[in-house]
Amino acid sequence: MAMSKEELKAAILKKAQTAAKPQLYVKDFYECDPESKPRDVKNAANDLVKEGKMDFWSSGSTTMYAAKGRAKDEEHRG
Amino acid sequence: MPKHDTPLLDELEKGPWPSFVTDIKRQAATKPECWDILGQLELSYRDKITHWKHGGIVGVFGYGGGIVGRYSDVPTKFPGVAHFHTVRLNQPSGMYYSTAKLRAICDLWQKYGSGMTNMHGSTGDLVLLGTTTPNLEPLFYELTHNLNQDLGGSGSNLRTPSCCLGKSRCEWACIDTQAVCYAMTMKYQDEIHRPAFPYKFKFKFSGCPNDCVASIARSDLSVIGTWRDNIRIDQAAVKKYLSGEYKSNAGAHSGRDWGKFDIKKEVINLCPTKCMHMEGDTLKIDNAECTRCMHCINVMPRALRPGAEQGATILVGAKAPILDGAQFATMIIPFMKVDAENEFEDLVNIIEGIWDWWMENGKNRERVGESIQRVGLPTFLKVLNVEPIPQHIKEPRSNPYIFWEAEEVEGGWDRDVREFRKRHAQ
Ligand code: HEM
Ligand code: HEM
Ligand code: SF4
Ligand code: SF4
Repeated sequence: MAMSKEELKAAILKKAQTAAKPQLYVKDFYECDPESKPRDVKNAANDLVKEGKMDFWSSGSTTMYAAKGRAKDEEHRG
Repeated sequence: MPKHDTPLLDELEKGPWPSFVTDIKRQAATKPECWDILGQLELSYRDKITHWKHGGIVGVFGYGGGIVGRYSDVPTKFPGVAHFHTVRLNQPSGMYYSTAKLRAICDLWQKYGSGMTNMHGSTGDLVLLGTTTPNLEPLFYELTHNLNQDLGGSGSNLRTPSCCLGKSRCEWACIDTQAVCYAMTMKYQDEIHRPAFPYKFKFKFSGCPNDCVASIARSDLSVIGTWRDNIRIDQAAVKKYLSGEYKSNAGAHSGRDWGKFDIKKEVINLCPTKCMHMEGDTLKIDNAECTRCMHCINVMPRALRPGAEQGATILVGAKAPILDGAQFATMIIPFMKVDAENEFEDLVNIIEGIWDWWMENGKNRERVGESIQRVGLPTFLKVLNVEPIPQHIKEPRSNPYIFWEAEEVEGGWDRDVREFRKRHAQ
């Protein structure tokens, strides 16, 4: 059975906080719950952004997700 | 902000054409940071490399798209463009504006940005070029509260849908492009404003195969108006073209004398499927062979019109990545009704069928056209429950094998691989 929305959000946030790379694609979260539909995973990840727990990081052509504080603007990179 | 010496850019002001360098210098009179655009570009011309960086977490609250973060990699030299973010505004269907709206947008951009715009970006959006992070929220507040204007899509979002002007001005439109574009824009607001996919996804709607928004080349899902009955012919008008009373191409090429209109040379011989001929002075079309290219209709618009039973062809998978090369969309559904009455139900089913499959199976940064290339068209057709037809085939067979599945053959078969391997080693 697929996880509840809250369980899914917790699993996504945990992965975003602990993954080696600070920025993850939405697909990287699918494995948090293989039973959940991709759209539900996407919606859960977007909810975490609305709640201020994750950020969108966008290159302009692709958007990735990062736990709050882990991603940086290009401005601050070398 | 000091003026920079720009000898290389100045060369671009010397030709007879309008020059963006002159425009930016003029803009610098009220927006001194524009000198830094010129300074940085001059440096790029010398270094032969871009000095822009893009990407980051900039945006407005609640949105995951519409703003593209852009920064200078030499901000101490050019502080005016240290931040120079791009803002995309969702254009109205068919790109109609009142002058009052345009003035209001320009005034707002003069207040919060560089004052420079690009109308329109290739996605269709009205593009505002160059602002700083602190200006984004106040700009967005005024756009939405005072101008009733929303942002468009960027990143892995559904990109701002766009359409030709369709039935508002063009008698060739076979579908109401503005209605369907608006309906899909409203239906998929969440997908436009927040990332939803492995990569970008674009819709574009053209009213007829002239495809004025180039949807076949630029969109992941291309909807092109067409007809499935016969081209409507007014034989009396055909005769007026033959006699020269009506100008071919509505007089579009009349700047030069091309001689008398020659229907054989200019229309019949150019029909790509050779399905037209004259019987005396009567024009005949074998409509079953017509590929709906629009050529004959474009040349003789007063004599020929699209048929009356109208709908759209659905094509999927155009892309223009730099490495793999550009690819046109592939025809998937030759004819579909596109009606506001059932809220575009058939189209919505196709869209969501593609999304469900692509979200699951598409790789990161892979456009749906690339996913289809990877798995093969037959697999994709099966996903959408579309029966293969000869028109799906791009070229005559080069592969001598046909693979049948047991359920596709009457009676089917049972296969015991172990039994088979007793006699045939692997
Ligand atoms: C100078 C020596 C050879 C020449 C010029 C030659 C030429 C050809 C040609 C023209 C074909 C037909 C290809 C086609 O249908 O498109 C063919 C097929 C074949 N040849 Fe040769 N061949 C040579 C040596 C050999 C040898 C030494 C063997 C076996 C040990 C061999 C086994 C085969 C087989 C099994 C096929 C059929 C392949 C298939 O149908 O997939 N040939 N050969
Ligand atoms: C390392 C050695 C060999 C390799 C890698 C090899 C590979 C192949 C391949 C890939 C095919 C085509 C199969 C298909 O398209 O269904 C083929 C067909 C064939 N090979 Fe070989 N082969 C080798 C040696 C030989 C030898 C030594 C013979 C005969 C003395 C032979 C006889 C045949 C025949 C008769 C066919 C045609 C079968 C048919 O068309 O139904 N092969 N082989
Ligand atoms: S695509 Fe066709 S219907 Fe739309 S504006 Fe162009 S010619 Fe007219
Ligand atoms: S629309 Fe094109 S294919 Fe059809 S009859 Fe006219 S020229 Fe031929």
